[in-house]
Amino acid sequence: MSDGRSGGGADAAPLPAAARRRFGPMRPELFLLAPLLLFVLAFEIYPILVMAWRSFFDRAGDVTLANYLRILEDPVYRTAVRNSLLFATAGAMVGAVGGTFVGYLAPRLPPRIHRFLLSLYSLPLTLSGLVVAFAFIVLLGRNGVLNLIVQQVFGLPRDVYFDIYSWYGIVLVYAFFQIPLMTLTMAAVFENLDRSLIEAARNLGARPWQVWRYVVVPVLAPGFLAGLSIQFAGLLGAFGTVLALVGGAKNLLAIQIYYHTSESTYDLPQAAALSITLIAIIAGVLVLLNRLERWARRSGGG
Amino acid sequence: MHRLSAFQVLLLILLVAFVVVPIAMPVIFSFSLFWQDILPEGFTLRWYQKILAKPATSRSLGVSLIVATSAVLLNLLIAVPAGYAISRLHGRFRRFMTTVARVLPLVLPPVIVGTALLLAFSKPPFAFSGTIWMVIVAHTLLGFPFMIRNTLASFDTIDVDTLSEAAASLGANLWQRLRYVIVPNVLPGVLAGALLVFAISIGEFEVTSMVAGFEAQTLPLQLFQQIRNDMRIASAISAFLVYVSLVCFLGMTWLGGYLRERRA
Repeated sequence: MSDGRSGGGADAAPLPAAARRRFGPMRPELFLLAPLLLFVLAFEIYPILVMAWRSFFDRAGDVTLANYLRILEDPVYRTAVRNSLLFATAGAMVGAVGGTFVGYLAPRLPPRIHRFLLSLYSLPLTLSGLVVAFAFIVLLGRNGVLNLIVQQVFGLPRDVYFDIYSWYGIVLVYAFFQIPLMTLTMAAVFENLDRSLIEAARNLGARPWQVWRYVVVPVLAPGFLAGLSIQFAGLLGAFGTVLALVGGAKNLLAIQIYYHTSESTYDLPQAAALSITLIAIIAGVLVLLNRLERWARRSGGG
Repeated sequence: MHRLSAFQVLLLILLVAFVVVPIAMPVIFSFSLFWQDILPEGFTLRWYQKILAKPATSRSLGVSLIVATSAVLLNLLIAVPAGYAISRLHGRFRRFMTTVARVLPLVLPPVIVGTALLLAFSKPPFAFSGTIWMVIVAHTLLGFPFMIRNTLASFDTIDVDTLSEAAASLGANLWQRLRYVIVPNVLPGVLAGALLVFAISIGEFEVTSMVAGFEAQTLPLQLFQQIRNDMRIASAISAFLVYVSLVCFLGMTWLGGYLRERRA
């Protein structure tokens, strides 16, 4: 034990000059981080800790696990968790496939147009979820313009229309956010894909599937998975656009949390427990995708 | 500039339409008298006048502008120095800070930030929830990742050390180095970040709806009510929010082009 301690001391004491340069000495600039750290501590970390704490109390103030047990047992909450996972998976898939497709095609346009397109695809990032909900109600609602056009072109009866208020509809509306988001990620990834590497592999006699397996996928996979985690995390927490489209008619975890913090079904400790559950689910998905990402990197780079 | 092939033209039209057609809907709706059939009818500015004429909506316009401006200013005060500090860090600590800045907003989506703020700040002595201050704080939090990313990118593209030393060797003091060397080099990136934060704040609904209460009703909260009550006022509010996004987007695109040209 004392050996270990003295060994540690010997390591720490004469910090090599190279290491000191790498980690940097305590610079005065570091104090510029202080406002950010204080703000995040006061308004993000502290509230999250309060929330975690409160999730173990009932509304009378007694310690309890009931808030969590209810999430495990109550069919409403179980359905909410299941729906959230399904919705996020569907939305992330649509976004990932669509975004990869656009990210792959965009570089085939002339550079100026390619650049314009990518900056156009950053526009949805700043757009209010409610504006998008409004836009799609006008476009694809029961009397939506696109529905009317399709009905008249194909002579369909009035009760045949695309239902924006169904799960498919909601996933489609979210694609308006998710596809551009993924496009921005994948466009950068495709730019890193070295065409000469593919040609070299072909010249060495690699078959098409081998080129994909050993050259293309290992380069694309890490970026793709990183993009996918952003999609998943965003969709698991999303509720604004859903709320504007269908109110509380669709049972999602984020919608449950929202309703437990508002007047009608006000129950803050339950909202806290649901929030902690949501954080755990998002973190779980992120860790899983991160593992996959590392594995993909290793199996390619090896 | 070379000519596009038919495939490229078709591709471009589809890709542009995907973003532009939905965004055009509220704008067209907001200027038309009726829109029952495929084509809208008539032209009017009445729905925009209604925003200003109705006390609830005109007040929320003011609240939104105050909140967005404050969130930008707070981000300039807090996230820009942090972005600079992170750009001066090396190795593990820098990786840690950038990872936190990237992952934290993913793990803590708006619905959770809203719930946590409600729980932490609803009782005295910290009863801020339901006030405009809480909304400003929430929007500032949501803006951090973007502001830090932009600031970090601008500081990374210039070599602050070399430039500062060169300026110092020519006799420039700290203030002069800031004024003539550092600020002009990072201003475009920081401004782009500010525009992004402004646009996000103006349109934010999720956290706002949880912490705003009655006092701090922003435009998106009014929009949420009007989507159920009056699609015309809703169209005008939506269109206004689209204009703000567009102006910010054009500004960011212009700044991006300006940066590219200067670097070339």
